[in-house]
Amino acid sequence: MEKLTIEPTANSPLIVLDPEMKNFEFSGESRPENVRKFYLPVLEWLEAYTASQESLQDDQRTSGLQCLFNFEYFNSTSAKYILDIFKSLNALHLLGLDLKIKWLYEEDDEDMLEVGQEMSRMSKLTFEYIIS
Amino acid sequence: MENKEAIIDFEGSISFETMEKLLNQLKSARQFNALRKPVRKRVYGTVVESIDNIFKYSAPVQGKLRILQRPPQIQVKEQEGKFVVSAGNLIQNDQVDDLRFKLNRINKMDDKALKSLYEEVINKETSDRDRGAGLGLITMALRTDENIRYHFDPAGPVHSYFTMHITIKE
Repeated sequence: MEKLTIEPTANSPLIVLDPEMKNFEFSGESRPENVRKFYLPVLEWLEAYTASQESLQDDQRTSGLQCLFNFEYFNSTSAKYILDIFKSLNALHLLGLDLKIKWLYEEDDEDMLEVGQEMSRMSKLTFEYIIS
Repeated sequence: MENKEAIIDFEGSISFETMEKLLNQLKSARQFNALRKPVRKRVYGTVVESIDNIFKYSAPVQGKLRILQRPPQIQVKEQEGKFVVSAGNLIQNDQVDDLRFKLNRINKMDDKALKSLYEEVINKETSDRDRGAGLGLITMALRTDENIRYHFDPAGPVHSYFTMHITIKE
């Protein structure tokens, strides 16, 4: 699969999905004008990646995939799509891929920590919480 | 306590570009930057959600009525040691009952019930997700310790003017 990179703007995050480097990254602010239009290519990429992993033998699948979530802020509409991303990652986890999900938050930003904990619970994925 | 000048006091048509200008205005305000970062993020998030609500739910008004009707408004003010975000927009009268129901329900909930409703709504498949299904109101309610104050003012035979006020402690 080819790497997907979406450059950040003042209202949309940096997104890097790089299977070769085993690195997925989401960082910045997320409140794009059209949230659906912004996240649809990301969800489609993840769906195609899951299908490509599904077609491989168990021992050929990617291991040690680092998924870094370093959001400064995201609005409530983005939250729905971010949860969809975690649901897609859960599909990869269920295929047996070893995912390392890191949720970054600023030291006193309890709201961002709490949202991460809720996302982890709802997506049934284990997060590592890191003070940025 | 002293009531200070509004950081944002805008009335007029709101586009995505206007939103960017208003958020930049907020980010450069001295009172805003003097806040602890978590409070600053709560105020910022509440302004974003309030403006998003105006985008999503404002009733379109055409023709002569457009001149007569009150435009959307957004205000951020420091008041008695708290930050109050006020937003107003015209809605169709047939939206009033649904909005009043949602707000009354949210105002009666404690944090645990709000989180449970948040989970229910965020997992709901909607045909038009970008209209939000009320997730913005729940998110704002989770970030304030006070009830969301609101009122509807009659604005002609088919419209009402909806105003809400969200208070964030410093």
